Amino acid sequence: MTRLFDHYNPQSERFFDEVIACDGAQRSHYEIMMQRFNQFSSADIRARRELVNIFFRNQGITFTVYGVDEGIERIFPFDLIPRIIPSSEWAMIERGLIQRITALNEFLADIYHKQQILRDKVVPADLVLGSKHFRREFIGVRPPLGIYIHVTGSDLIRDGEGRYLVLEDNLRTPSGVSYMLQNRIAMKRAFPVLFDRYTVRPVENYPQQLLRTLQEISPSPKPDPKVVVLTPGIYNSAYFEHSFLAQQMGVQLTEGRDLVVNNNKVYTRTTRGLQIVDVIYRRVDDEFIDPLVFRPDSVLGVAGLINAYRKGNVTLANAIGTGVADDKVIYSFVPDIIRYYLNEEPILDNVETWLASNPKHLKHILENLDKLVVKAANESGGYGMLVGPESTPEQRELFAEKIVENPRNYIAQPTISLSRHPSFFNDTELAPCHIDLRPYVLYGKSVSIVPGGLTRVALKRGSLVVNSSQGGGSKDTWVIDNL
Amino acid sequence: MLSRVAESLFWMSRYFERAENTARFLDVNFNLLLDLNSITPVDHPNYWKPLIMVMADPEHFRSLYQEYDAHSVTDYLVFNRKNSSSILSSISMARENARSIIESISSEMWEQLNNLYHFLQSVSPQQVHSDPYSFYKEIKNASHLFQGITDNTFSHNEGWAFVQIGKYLERADNSARLIDVKYHMLTTSPARHSDLVSGSVDIIQWMAVLKSCSALEAFRKVYLSKIDPDNILSFLILDRSFPRSISFSICAAQEALWRISGSSSHRYANNVDRLIGKMEAEMSYTTVEEILQQGVRPFLEEIEQGLAKIGEQLHLLYFAYHTPKIEPADIAEALPFTGLDGRRANWSQSQQQQQQ
Repeated sequence: MTRLFDHYNPQSERFFDEVIACDGAQRSHYEIMMQRFNQFSSADIRARRELVNIFFRNQGITFTVYGVDEGIERIFPFDLIPRIIPSSEWAMIERGLIQRITALNEFLADIYHKQQILRDKVVPADLVLGSKHFRREFIGVRPPLGIYIHVTGSDLIRDGEGRYLVLEDNLRTPSGVSYMLQNRIAMKRAFPVLFDRYTVRPVENYPQQLLRTLQEISPSPKPDPKVVVLTPGIYNSAYFEHSFLAQQMGVQLTEGRDLVVNNNKVYTRTTRGLQIVDVIYRRVDDEFIDPLVFRPDSVLGVAGLINAYRKGNVTLANAIGTGVADDKVIYSFVPDIIRYYLNEEPILDNVETWLASNPKHLKHILENLDKLVVKAANESGGYGMLVGPESTPEQRELFAEKIVENPRNYIAQPTISLSRHPSFFNDTELAPCHIDLRPYVLYGKSVSIVPGGLTRVALKRGSLVVNSSQGGGSKDTWVIDNL
Repeated sequence: MLSRVAESLFWMSRYFERAENTARFLDVNFNLLLDLNSITPVDHPNYWKPLIMVMADPEHFRSLYQEYDAHSVTDYLVFNRKNSSSILSSISMARENARSIIESISSEMWEQLNNLYHFLQSVSPQQVHSDPYSFYKEIKNASHLFQGITDNTFSHNEGWAFVQIGKYLERADNSARLIDVKYHMLTTSPARHSDLVSGSVDIIQWMAVLKSCSALEAFRKVYLSKIDPDNILSFLILDRSFPRSISFSICAAQEALWRISGSSSHRYANNVDRLIGKMEAEMSYTTVEEILQQGVRPFLEEIEQGLAKIGEQLHLLYFAYHTPKIEPADIAEALPFTGLDGRRANWSQSQQQQQQ
């Protein structure tokens, strides 16, 4: 019988392989997993695959693809081979993220108050004040505990040498944490024996930690502050996650029309009258959250919510205006921001980034369009980008025009060498697929990070795009105590 | 409980019950026709038109179909999505309501509702025509299963009470309509005049009505073999223990409303409780003789109107209490009273659609 990993071959010098080192040796933390999988026949794998599929289908774990007519619900593809991170590596990631999130929070507090960093010219003022996500309405508003970014999900990747780099800071409404939780349940059902052989750090208490964080930021101290989740509704691509988190925390899932503001206080409309709300975990973007302040045509928001928030009667998580700090242009300044506020060297590096708004950088970008990945500063989900090596001359020309027209809106990065991980190409065959890592960071009275996070995997062969909207899948992610 | 969640529970349940009742309407009609087809052709519009008169808008129907025949009426009431009360539309609406509160209901409830929806989508009109009995039975069973699942997997608190209210208000309304249309049909049917043998056809037809309410055996236990229209009216309207009678349904809706408000038989806490209490008392103290004296049709119309008012007040009290209160007097005035030409029935039906 051929064993599963016998034919696995990373075949590349350029990419870091998570399982096999470049000399062909197995990395020690993967040994037990490989041995176990090598014992499976293809029928075993198929049976487990089926078990997992049924689990996901019954749970209704789906996301909606935009642009396809009326939004089609699909099951988020799940790969059976877990990604394993040794605790020593994880400790470094954890320190790096805490450092980064702390500095970014300081940055937000600063630009919405004294703006010292702009006066000191560490970050160009025009880039901050001109950002689409800068909310001048919030200057001078201090959120409880001075925290702006309560829930974040930074995207990490590994370069050719295996160094962890930050690719994006998602400081607005990062999604995917429900997949992390469901993936773990699915893996435990399908491979219980593997969990016996490793000491995998648990992720299951994330909903409780999230609830605790949200209660900690209540505007006034009370024994049991009322928390609700605010969703744009059932047509949102992440609706499943919103209802799942509400259910797991045991709080109400609300839509804009369930909330009403009276006398600058926020209430839920219930069958027993109005009931006051203290904290809103909102999954509605800034622009839609209050038609009186932002987009007047929004039907997803709550009229008067922003005034209630400014008055300090309700806390929003995350705060309004955090998007200015996860802008892809501001991103390139994060290492400087860390040095400025914390007097420390960044533990996690950025990916090298050129700004089109900088004339020297712009020249470099335009000359090397075929080698670079160009991204619009404010888009997410893999939309609005140019992958140089895979583009046609016409596409590059079109993009060059767009960049010159609006340089503030574009950044360029080298085609990133995402690390690769064996993943099922079909039931019997493994292929090296590109992965990233999104750990989830909670910031209340202290910063806490769920061990692991969501590993997204580009299941299309050779593809570098891991976003679920672009055909990506995910893996269970284990942080294990050293063997 | 959030008003929106309560409202969705109410409508989920109400739409599901409506689908079941539409299936029962059609089922009884087919049953009757099997008995009558030796006398009049089954496609005779006299048998099919009353269904549309009571359950839908005849003008809307005529804009889509030529004739009131078996094929068209079945298609309109089962499959047509342009008819907001068709079985398919009702189940879709029940499912949409459930989907928007999926975190509040049990996963078993969702699964059952979802299964029925997918079953309906897989059925072709030909299948229904070739075997109507099995199809309607499938719908009825699915509804019973859903109710059983709800009772056994969903906490019996406020949300459950809204599910009960939706179910029983819809059932009372539909039973009134079913009796109304069948009573009309049987007292004016061409068969009656051509039947020279003392009303035996009538009895077969009344038995079919009872069967459609799954009431034949229960009826026999009360009235033995005395199948005459008065006994049947009395049973379907006034019986206190049979779960599809109007009286039972109103009583069950009242109990569920009391669970929510804390009212009791001696005092009411709000306008909805007042209205349902009044109706319940009416049902308790009326006799079948009084109904016949008043006329069956006016009596049933009064019930239908009363139920529509209760629906309005329920909406104002629990789902949209923040809007200014409308006095009951205003609603009574707004009720267009135009006799039974289908328009009034249709108006009241349209008010019993979900408010957006």
